[in-house]
Amino acid sequence: MAPHAKGSAVHEFGVASEIWEAVRRAAGEHGGGRIRAITVEIGELNLIEDEQLRFWVTALAERDGSPGAELRIAHLPVTVRCRQCGETRTAESRDSRVESRETEVESRFLGGMLGTPAAACPRCGSGEVEVIGGREIRVVSAEVDAGQES
Amino acid sequence: MRLFETTEAGSVEIQIGEDIQARHEELAERNRELFRERGIRAFDVTGSVGAGKTSLIAEMVQRLSAKHGVAVIAGDVATTHDAERMAGRGAKQVLQINTGGMCHLDAGLVYRALERLPQSGVDVLFIENVGNLICPSYFSLGVEARIAVVSASEGSHVIEKHPAMFESADLVVLNKVDIAEAVHSDLGQPIKDLQAMRAGMKVVKTNCLAGEGVDDVLKALGLG
Repeated sequence: MAPHAKGSAVHEFGVASEIWEAVRRAAGEHGGGRIRAITVEIGELNLIEDEQLRFWVTALAERDGSPGAELRIAHLPVTVRCRQCGETRTAESRDSRVESRETEVESRFLGGMLGTPAAACPRCGSGEVEVIGGREIRVVSAEVDAGQES
Repeated sequence: MRLFETTEAGSVEIQIGEDIQARHEELAERNRELFRERGIRAFDVTGSVGAGKTSLIAEMVQRLSAKHGVAVIAGDVATTHDAERMAGRGAKQVLQINTGGMCHLDAGLVYRALERLPQSGVDVLFIENVGNLICPSYFSLGVEARIAVVSASEGSHVIEKHPAMFESADLVVLNKVDIAEAVHSDLGQPIKDLQAMRAGMKVVKTNCLAGEGVDDVLKALGLG
């Protein structure tokens, strides 16, 4: 994964590095032209800050001959399922607000931002809940200059 | 991968569909394969800064080195202090990874250290993760078990505050029991929270500096 990183590498550097390598490999197989844009899907549980990720991908792109490459980030929500009764819930947004008793239970069920939920299923009360969505890091596509064909 | 359509500017959109998380899993599996091939029982030791990871590992190495070839890989942002603290404990080899800023170890980094281990003679490996109860949760190193060390001075609600870490732990070591009272800590709360998280969760109380409870940790891991 991430090479020995110097300077103020942060949490997002490792992910940025992997995204960039995946795009470079793919671009290499299609003529190796300059990379103009990258589309990624990032699950909310990865705690990725868009701007930090963009900062590092941009820096890597500039280093490797694709300055100004655009990073498009689609966020994938957190989806949690109860192993006992099958109840499945998806978080609407990263910051869940408590507005009613029902919402409060749902917020705790989804665990907010930080990792897997510690609370119980709002339907059956079981503590055996699992995360089935929100951990993805997918490099979807890239826009590459139609360079020389290999 | 297929070529998509050409845009106005003369560039093409390539469908990549690469799953980075799947790549992480592959790297963890690569480590698992290496451990299997060489007969190494590997453990990931996580915990906050100062929880007692190094103390625990040092004590375990000392107790195992008579009958086992033990190696240690220590991970930190900077310095070799943790690796140096293993001196005189009888480890076959001690390696230190400096991440240079990254807040957790990952399977790829660990693999590079694994390549420096001897081909034979090591049958137990302790990997000390970077001091952090959050980020390491999400990165599997391909080990047999994860030991999460938490100490009495981290507050009674430390378990609930770090669900991902403790959900991913196979064994939790509650360290510094000797100072719990002095820091107004109720050790019962963490134990209760761990049981609520997973019935039958293995918890061992220790005072690593005094070597107390370490034999129980080894027993829980099926070592020694």
